[in-house]
Amino acid sequence: MAAHEILAATNAVVTLDVAIPGIVWPWLVTVNMWAKSIGTGVIFMLFMLQRTHPNSVSNLRLPIAITAFVFINIFLLFTLADLHQPFRMWHIFFHPHWTSAITVGSFMASAFLGLLTLLVFLAWKKNDETYDKVLLWTAILAIPVTLYTAALMAQCTARELWQMPTESAQMILAATLSGSATMILLGGNKLSYEAKKSLGVVLGLSALMAFIIYMSEYVFGPMKAEEVAAVMEYIKGDGPYTVMFWLGQWMTYILPMLLILLSRSSKSESILKLAAILALVGLAIVKHVWLIIPQLLPMS
Amino acid sequence: MQLGFLVDLHLCMGCKGCEIACKVENEVPLSTWRLRVKYVDVGTFPETKRTFTPLRCNHCENAPCERICPVSALHYLDNGIVNIDKERCIGCAGCVMACPYGAIYIDPQTQTADKCTYCAHRIASSMMPACVVACPVEANIFGDLDDAKSNISKYIQSNQSNVQVRKPEKGTNPHHYYVGGGNVSLNPLASHRVDGDSLFGKITTLPVGGHH
Repeated sequence: MAAHEILAATNAVVTLDVAIPGIVWPWLVTVNMWAKSIGTGVIFMLFMLQRTHPNSVSNLRLPIAITAFVFINIFLLFTLADLHQPFRMWHIFFHPHWTSAITVGSFMASAFLGLLTLLVFLAWKKNDETYDKVLLWTAILAIPVTLYTAALMAQCTARELWQMPTESAQMILAATLSGSATMILLGGNKLSYEAKKSLGVVLGLSALMAFIIYMSEYVFGPMKAEEVAAVMEYIKGDGPYTVMFWLGQWMTYILPMLLILLSRSSKSESILKLAAILALVGLAIVKHVWLIIPQLLPMS
Repeated sequence: MQLGFLVDLHLCMGCKGCEIACKVENEVPLSTWRLRVKYVDVGTFPETKRTFTPLRCNHCENAPCERICPVSALHYLDNGIVNIDKERCIGCAGCVMACPYGAIYIDPQTQTADKCTYCAHRIASSMMPACVVACPVEANIFGDLDDAKSNISKYIQSNQSNVQVRKPEKGTNPHHYYVGGGNVSLNPLASHRVDGDSLFGKITTLPVGGHH
């Protein structure tokens, strides 16, 4: 029997209880995920362009390495800021518990930051040959680094909305979407129009696939689990996050897809840049809504 | 040894004695709870009744909080208790998010996770948990699940068809049982909840603690 049927049958009302706990993982975690998507995404895109448009990226080695370095540091900074005991962060490295996605992620993110530091150094020294070899391993490590947050969300047994297959897909798509958007904006005169067009295709397809997954969960998720159905009420009808949810979907996915089609027909780089800006800003909104809504549900 | 809890909801009268005893014994700060008693009113006047459900950590055999803790601050004791080392906790709140029973909170004074430990410190001194001692109707039954002669094992044996756990579908294998519970008392989604209001007045929500 679904929750709403039980409610109608019993007319049960909680008349005395403690307050529902507030938001435990707040906007700091949103920034964490958003910055990590950009930090790993630009590495994916640089790796792709190196194979498809090698001449275009020769001047982008240093700017992309610095961008990834900065955004991964933002990600780590906000991870630290979200801890209630940030000065005990070192416990993770000296008392690691390997069943936790937080532990595994911390070690991988630290190694990733080490490789990014090396990339910045190699680009500064103009040692392109070694840079390209290190980039391969950095791109490979970027995959689990961007995925581990999905594993962490999946370990939250209480939050049915965060299913591992969909969250892992969304994390990778967020990285390719934000990475391509950042590259379009950073490319300037250094990237050829053809390279930007390729990035636009990645951006558009990432937006399309992520949008399909969200809509699938929106429509079919409630048919599978009563907790998902209850959580979805926060983004349906007069729900407190309905406006923010749809604002995010339009800004991140629908409008960029349309703008990319328009930019291809009109060969306009300005429209492509507008799509990139909307996708980057919108991604933070989308991530925030998906992070917050399962936390509104009473667990007991 | 596998310690466990059983609450006979037929006996519980919602006096909240266990709640207060727990608060005092463990010095639980304002706005946070290791154990609480939830009231749910069922039906339409005049055919109404009130249910009382004490809610605490379930000390799961397959505890999501233990699995997600990055520093093993949450850990199993040999007697089955899921204990917490507050000196090691980094306050990531992963356990708060992972617990399907909402049993873990961030202590606003220590800025670390905290929860019911079945009064592990009292058990180490061969004493019963404070809530068990305080219950005037002996609705809280505590003991060794591995010992067939313990009160809790006998109670489970004699009430086999009526013993339930919360959210069994989560696969956590709780060591906390209820007798006489129903969907309304054990499933939080089976009752309306207007947060902020209660039987005796408005609820004041204090900050969770830290940066929020």
